[in-house]
Amino acid sequence: MQTEEQKSKTAPGREPQTKYLREQQKKQRQQQRFIKKETQTAARYLGRLEQLSGAPAAMQPFVEVLRRIYVEMQGVETDRPTIGTYCVMVPQELIYAAGAQPVKLCSGNYTAFSIGDDLTPRDACPLVKAVAGFQHTGLMPVYRDCSMMVVPITCDCKKKIAGMLRDSVELITLHVPASREDADMEAYLRQLYELMERLEAATGSPISSGSLAEGFQMVGRAQAEFSEFIRLRKSSPALLRGTHSMAMMNASAYMSADRWADAMHGVNLELKERIRTGEKISSRSLPRILLTGSPIVFPNIKIPLLIEEMGGLVSADETCMGERGMWDPAVITDHSFNGMLRALANRALRPCPCPTFADNTQRIYRLKQMIRDNEIQGVIYHVLRGCLVYDFEYRQIEEELGKLEIPVIRLESDYNEEDVEQLRIRIEAFIELIKLRQEPVRRTGIRESF
Amino acid sequence: MGKYYIGLDGGSTYLKAALIGNGQVVDTMVRSTGIDNNGTAQLLARELCNRNAVTPSEVGYIMATGYSRKVLEMADDDISEITAHAYGVRLTAPKEYQPGMIIDIGGQDSKIIYLDSHYAVKNFSMNDKCAAGTGKFMEVIAQILETTIDQVGPLSLESTSPCDINSTCVVFAQSEVISLVARKYDRRDILAGMHLSMVRRIIKMMKKSEKQGDILMTGGGALNIGLHKAFEEELMRDVYVASWPQFNGAIGAALIGSERG
Ligand code: SF4
Ligand code: SF4
Repeated sequence: MQTEEQKSKTAPGREPQTKYLREQQKKQRQQQRFIKKETQTAARYLGRLEQLSGAPAAMQPFVEVLRRIYVEMQGVETDRPTIGTYCVMVPQELIYAAGAQPVKLCSGNYTAFSIGDDLTPRDACPLVKAVAGFQHTGLMPVYRDCSMMVVPITCDCKKKIAGMLRDSVELITLHVPASREDADMEAYLRQLYELMERLEAATGSPISSGSLAEGFQMVGRAQAEFSEFIRLRKSSPALLRGTHSMAMMNASAYMSADRWADAMHGVNLELKERIRTGEKISSRSLPRILLTGSPIVFPNIKIPLLIEEMGGLVSADETCMGERGMWDPAVITDHSFNGMLRALANRALRPCPCPTFADNTQRIYRLKQMIRDNEIQGVIYHVLRGCLVYDFEYRQIEEELGKLEIPVIRLESDYNEEDVEQLRIRIEAFIELIKLRQEPVRRTGIRESF
Repeated sequence: MGKYYIGLDGGSTYLKAALIGNGQVVDTMVRSTGIDNNGTAQLLARELCNRNAVTPSEVGYIMATGYSRKVLEMADDDISEITAHAYGVRLTAPKEYQPGMIIDIGGQDSKIIYLDSHYAVKNFSMNDKCAAGTGKFMEVIAQILETTIDQVGPLSLESTSPCDINSTCVVFAQSEVISLVARKYDRRDILAGMHLSMVRRIIKMMKKSEKQGDILMTGGGALNIGLHKAFEEELMRDVYVASWPQFNGAIGAALIGSERG
């Protein structure tokens, strides 16, 4: 028996088709294959996420959001126009103030990567390759629905992807300074004013002091729930797995700050309940690992998954889709409109531990602080192939952590599953290394025979 | 408790065991794995102990490693191959060796492990898809050249002008060797060329950034003097050879066990 698809390709003597129609059908088949592969991969990773022990029941809303975007391939649930952003340096408050919904478009998608790989130079990072792939297929609602995209120019890959995207979407670039002197901050502030005008034009709603204050409030509530969450996450023994935590943070990319805050509130209640009842994710003490480095975006969660499947605990992460995504609220010292924008500029740049800045004592300081606060025993430094900014910093970080006698390894990976076995072996050895540094449990008792 | 420790290294074809005591290697033993991994391991442990007049009660800890480590139920615990190899070096490397790199050439795969100055694993690369450079590969070549695996190394050292062999792939190299034989090249030159091309393939696997410390060869490949010399030529550095190279994993496992019993 032939399937319908085969018949339409091979049946002789059927009605003459125009070349155009044939091309259309061919394209359609290609698109269906893309959709099939993309949704299957996402579903598989969601499955592993749910199978990993210790997931709080309140995590479900976040899983549903990831399912909606990547398995059901629907857009963000909102009645506002959406504004696509890349990177954490785009103030979400400003987008809410324009009556729009921000959505983070940095991608971790293997299927889109395989398409984008042909459209970009070999040494471009997989994150922008995946973005290029999605844009090219035009099949992903979260990209397709955007009224405008905001691309901060943080590295060469971002700069060039902005140029590529510009051909097909309304786009604004934000020039992120390489250092944080006063003059740099002024320049960034001017960029935010420009962004404001473009947002107003894209959405048709003017930004006022009032609407900006509302934006601050919305984001502020999410940040408050987030800091409570981070406080709970530091508990030892652990109340939660890092892979689950990272997935929840990642889901915030496709949720309104309100909905995210509500869902996070549920998680926080559940974690507090775990403290009360003494529920832990494991009876053994798991090696506490800090995961940092290049962005980790769903479904590319193979590294945190492997760490925790192999018996480690990602007890904190310093990544931009993870804990960095929602740090401290902006501090307003001057309540004028200009003062509020200034607060946003300061918050976006000053505390940012991203390696795109030339000077990065900030980052080292932040990592050391996280190591202390989370009782970290080892650091895994993730480098996406082609991500130079993160790779550059590895040496210095290895040296600094060496002084603290904290073991660190660099794991390079790409957006495919070919490297999984190599990664697994290295992660396993790293976890064993941490365990071997602990006081060994001695075997007692006499052996009678073998 | 006991003063002896056993390490078991379960590979796909051979099961190897090492007995250590007093921080030194006492004895080693190998058997083919057979169908019943755990049964073979029990027999092996018993024989190893009998030969050295050690009773089970004197064995403080049994640590398994290798491919089949999870099924060796007689062991008290198991550890990954990488960690075991890194530990093994403490007992198998020559005194002057500064930990840096281990090149392990086994029967089926080859791997490189990078150590920091405290013998901790820093990095690692492995060639599990390619047979080039492994014992299996050498066997095939030895057969074509009508010699034995333990002769290929010494023979290659007698070469005066190594052949140029470009294919590093087992499949292609095999036919390349056959055609060289047909063209009446000296087999010593063919072997020398073979070693060089294998070594180049493995060197390609090395991470350029990991250059500290010395290089140590382990695994069956370390017994091949031709391979050893070819590494030294190509890397232009001294390359050390481990004692009991094929038992490095088992010895490392035993040593980790000695911290626990
Ligand atoms: S920072 Fe790294 S991962 Fe992000 S866009 Fe630049 S190169 Fe890619
Ligand atoms: S080079 Fe040859 S032996 Fe190596 S993987 Fe390729 S086909 Fe296999």
